[in-house]
Amino acid sequence: MHEALQEEFPVDWEDDHFVTRREFFKLVTVASGTLALGTTAMAIYSAIPKGKRSFEPAKICKVAAIGPGAFLAFSYPRPSDLCILVRTASGKLTAFSRRCTHLSCPVVYEPETRGEVLYCPCHNGAFSLEDGRVLQGPPPHPLPNILIEVRGDEVYAVGVASVEA
Amino acid sequence: MNTPQFHRRRQKAVVFVGLMLFGLLFFLIQIWLFVAVLERVLSGKTEVAIPAAIASSVVFLANLWMLRGLILVSKSL
Repeated sequence: MHEALQEEFPVDWEDDHFVTRREFFKLVTVASGTLALGTTAMAIYSAIPKGKRSFEPAKICKVAAIGPGAFLAFSYPRPSDLCILVRTASGKLTAFSRRCTHLSCPVVYEPETRGEVLYCPCHNGAFSLEDGRVLQGPPPHPLPNILIEVRGDEVYAVGVASVEA
Repeated sequence: MNTPQFHRRRQKAVVFVGLMLFGLLFFLIQIWLFVAVLERVLSGKTEVAIPAAIASSVVFLANLWMLRGLILVSKSL
């Protein structure tokens, strides 16, 4: 049975594994098209405006709960998105993502030892409390700014501002 | 032995290899463009994405044009 099959349907293994130059070039062209498509998709993605991203407002805390020169950790908009609410020595409330843009270590606010900056203890990174820009260290990008609103005596997170590199 | 037909085949073989080398070179350029754009887009810098996409598409069209030429050459052998 097996021999009969081989006689009726002979498979020439050498021919079967032989790739012609035309086939090879077709493969290269298909791969080239895929890369062009991928690069175009990234260009389209990057062209989509990513301005202020709004999420459902979420209460962070009462205004009185955070004194001047103190900070409070919270999550926004998802439970895994760690953020930091800071009341500066001058009394201004501001919030940023708490993950350092270098290796995601949590940044801290220590005005007594580090000054008015958000400090990353892992690799001595520091971010401005004004706009989250990098002041020192290895972080490649600014910290995303969390938009906050004071409603009555409560502080709410209302959105995430875009990150300008 | 060295008939005109033989010479024509040899010349076409050179054209074949030349086209394939160009095709591979273009493909490498596209990989470089893709990786460069990916790195920059992930780091938030998007100004090179559109020129790179245009360049990559042009390279793809050139590859397509060369494939067409290669098919025409191989048919006329």
